[in-house]
Amino acid sequence: MLQQSILTEHVTLNMGPQHPSTHGVLRLELTLEGEVVVDCRPVIGYLHRGVEKIGEARTYPQFLPYTDRLDYLSSASNNAAYVLAVEKLMGLEVPERAKYLRVIALELNRIASHLVFLATFGNDLAATTAFLYAIRERELIMDLFEMWVGARLTQSTFKLGGVSDDVPEGFVQQARDFCRLLPGRVDEYDRLLTGNRIFEARTRGVGLLPPEVALDYACSGPTLRGSGVAFDLRRAAPYEMYDRLDFDVVTHSSCDCLGRYLVRMQEMRQSVRILQQCLDQLPEGEVRAKVGRVVKPPAGEAYGRVESPRGEFGCYVVSDGGTSPRRVRLRAPSFFHLAVLPQMLRGWKVGDVVAILGSIDIVLGEVDR
Amino acid sequence: MIDLLCSQLGEAVQSAEQVGDELRVRLPASSLMAAARLCKEHGYNYPCDLTAVDTRSELVMVYRLISLNSGQQVVLSVGLPRSGARVPTLSGVYGAAEWLEREAFDLFGVRFEGHPDLRRILLTDDWEGHPLLK
Repeated sequence: MLQQSILTEHVTLNMGPQHPSTHGVLRLELTLEGEVVVDCRPVIGYLHRGVEKIGEARTYPQFLPYTDRLDYLSSASNNAAYVLAVEKLMGLEVPERAKYLRVIALELNRIASHLVFLATFGNDLAATTAFLYAIRERELIMDLFEMWVGARLTQSTFKLGGVSDDVPEGFVQQARDFCRLLPGRVDEYDRLLTGNRIFEARTRGVGLLPPEVALDYACSGPTLRGSGVAFDLRRAAPYEMYDRLDFDVVTHSSCDCLGRYLVRMQEMRQSVRILQQCLDQLPEGEVRAKVGRVVKPPAGEAYGRVESPRGEFGCYVVSDGGTSPRRVRLRAPSFFHLAVLPQMLRGWKVGDVVAILGSIDIVLGEVDR
Repeated sequence: MIDLLCSQLGEAVQSAEQVGDELRVRLPASSLMAAARLCKEHGYNYPCDLTAVDTRSELVMVYRLISLNSGQQVVLSVGLPRSGARVPTLSGVYGAAEWLEREAFDLFGVRFEGHPDLRRILLTDDWEGHPLLK
């Protein structure tokens, strides 16, 4: 009798940095036993540009466009965290119309970002049609921004003291048309994906993130709310004029990939509600407070925090009274979500890695900074 | 919380002030662990951020801990020498500290004593120096 024992040594597999499902340059060092993930070590830094260091060598207004390029799917929320921190330092009050326009920019960005999530998540799970549909609707948002500020992706809509430009003639009507259109389209995505058996089989019960672990790793945004924790900065620490708006904080208690997906789908509908209220109530007036050419906030420190589509995006600015910050610290939610990823992957198969990684919706631009 | 930290840590609290919704507390490195544990026990369950600031005269570690129930923030700061800075790790108290401390080590050269895996995170392994030091 030939006796041969099968070798079951662990195999190390590099996923990335040039893998289509890693959504950027990320490398996952997977330790596998057969097809099962035993351990994972995310390797980041491929996109590190030293943005925090650059911040120390630029004046306060000069640094703003750099923030657009962090979470490039939602440039407005990066802008917002930075200007909120600097305005707090300066004690600057923003005109009412500018606050409304800022919220419009933030919510349009949220929808655009969730549409990209939907597109890529569907694509990762072999539902290519979803990609085409979601990108089609995102295009309408890009057009709105092109009409408003000229840029489509890195918009720099925010400026210290307000927004860069007032919205042009016809913008409000076009935005209203978009708000009327989108809910029907989200219904369409629901019919396409949410009830789909293959999609459900790949996401339901997969990649569990218990709420206590999520909190311990300071997860936020849909990743945290998909674990049933109702924490949303728009409600918990309102900025601009979110305290005057009527919307629901969406949560899902299933803690799995499907839960995180469902939270984002519902959030698009809530963002439409917010947009409609802003467009209805949009007051007349100035869109930018008077800010001198030279910005010199008094010495001190401030922390600005906003609910970006991915979670808490924070900006900690320390001023020494000069024209450039002493320190700009950027707190990127995706960084925290990648740190907890190994815990979500253990015990799942290689094929599930793609679904789980997709469900936390990372952007490497903000992870690596 | 301000009273609690002062009574539990006593003399160690170098300064404490409430600014808006932030409670800013300055401590020596030796009391950091005790303070963090105390915060965690009293509902500061969300380790929002951890970073360092180089003021040219010293390196200040800044820990921002938030209670999701009350919305209150505790900001602990610890002054360290600019070269050879050492501070105990909080990775045993808050999971998020593990990667954040790797980043502070990478960019500022702070040594976190007891950290399970203190490697560079954003820069390459063969990088020399710590770029965010002034």
